[in-house]
Amino acid sequence: MSDAYVWAIIAGMAVSNFVVRYPPIAVLSRLELPGWLTRWLSFVPVSVMATLVVSAVARPDGVWRVDIASPYLWAAVFTGLVYWRSRSFLGATAAGIVSFLALRSVLG
Amino acid sequence: MLTTPSQQAACPTARSRFWRGVRLGIPILLGYLPVGTAFGIVARDLGMSAVQAVACSTTALAGAGQFIALALMKSGATALGVIVATTVVNLRYVLFGAAMAPYVSRVRPMGQALLAFTLTDETFAVNIDDHRHGNADAHSMAGVGAIAWVGWVAGTALGALAAGLIGDPDSWGVSFAMPAMFSALLVAQAEDRRHVATAVIAGLLTVALMVVLPGTWYVIVAPMAAATVAAVMFR
Repeated sequence: MSDAYVWAIIAGMAVSNFVVRYPPIAVLSRLELPGWLTRWLSFVPVSVMATLVVSAVARPDGVWRVDIASPYLWAAVFTGLVYWRSRSFLGATAAGIVSFLALRSVLG
Repeated sequence: MLTTPSQQAACPTARSRFWRGVRLGIPILLGYLPVGTAFGIVARDLGMSAVQAVACSTTALAGAGQFIALALMKSGATALGVIVATTVVNLRYVLFGAAMAPYVSRVRPMGQALLAFTLTDETFAVNIDDHRHGNADAHSMAGVGAIAWVGWVAGTALGALAAGLIGDPDSWGVSFAMPAMFSALLVAQAEDRRHVATAVIAGLLTVALMVVLPGTWYVIVAPMAAATVAAVMFR
């Protein structure tokens, strides 16, 4: 793996990251958005989060885990419940990681 | 001190709002530190220098995208192939940026650029939640972004420099740090039944599209489809 190869990737990722993030903010913040688009956008955050949770639980590290004894599944459910009851992002994340370690040692 | 009354009033306020954002983002910092450390360790394992690993995290701030890049580099992909793959997985930020746009219409272009640079799944979810409660502004969002960036870069530096001393990061649960944050943030976004229903639709579509679509296209297609179904169902 040559230095030039790695630096080319680092530079390309830096540019690509900014290019996907900045233009939508810069352009759409100057426009008056139609009602249907605002409504559609209001459902985007919860949809993206659901996709991220489900993909992380169903295929952690690129390997399918759809069995009922998956520590990823139950730790995610537990994390969500802790957040729902406590409204503490930090507490829920910490409780989730601890529960994952405990469940993994039991369920494998 | 030769300051006008208005400066005296404005400066501490902007600063205190920034620090309020920093406090709000502390959980993100604590989540990013171990995951950033894992990135640093894996990057060094792969043959990247510590400077390269830290430079990547400093300029990209792309979590999952960066791990995918490492996996592809390991498999011998071309530089262009790696960049295209990470761009696809990062396309969801187009949606996030669009959803954030109405909240930053009064922020100057430079400020918008900085907020865009620190836009991640976690900073976005925390800021949107804060907006919903009527608290967020440009300064608090800058604070959330700054502390998240510090966590990601500091974690990477720690992993890249102390790779040999830390051992296997997975033994202390790093592989669940991101899923745990996502799970809490999902519940934070599900404010009423319509949003819960949308989450279920998105979840089902995600599994189906993970099977059907190549690579990581489901990351962008599933949420767009779910939001469309929800926007039609819940008029």
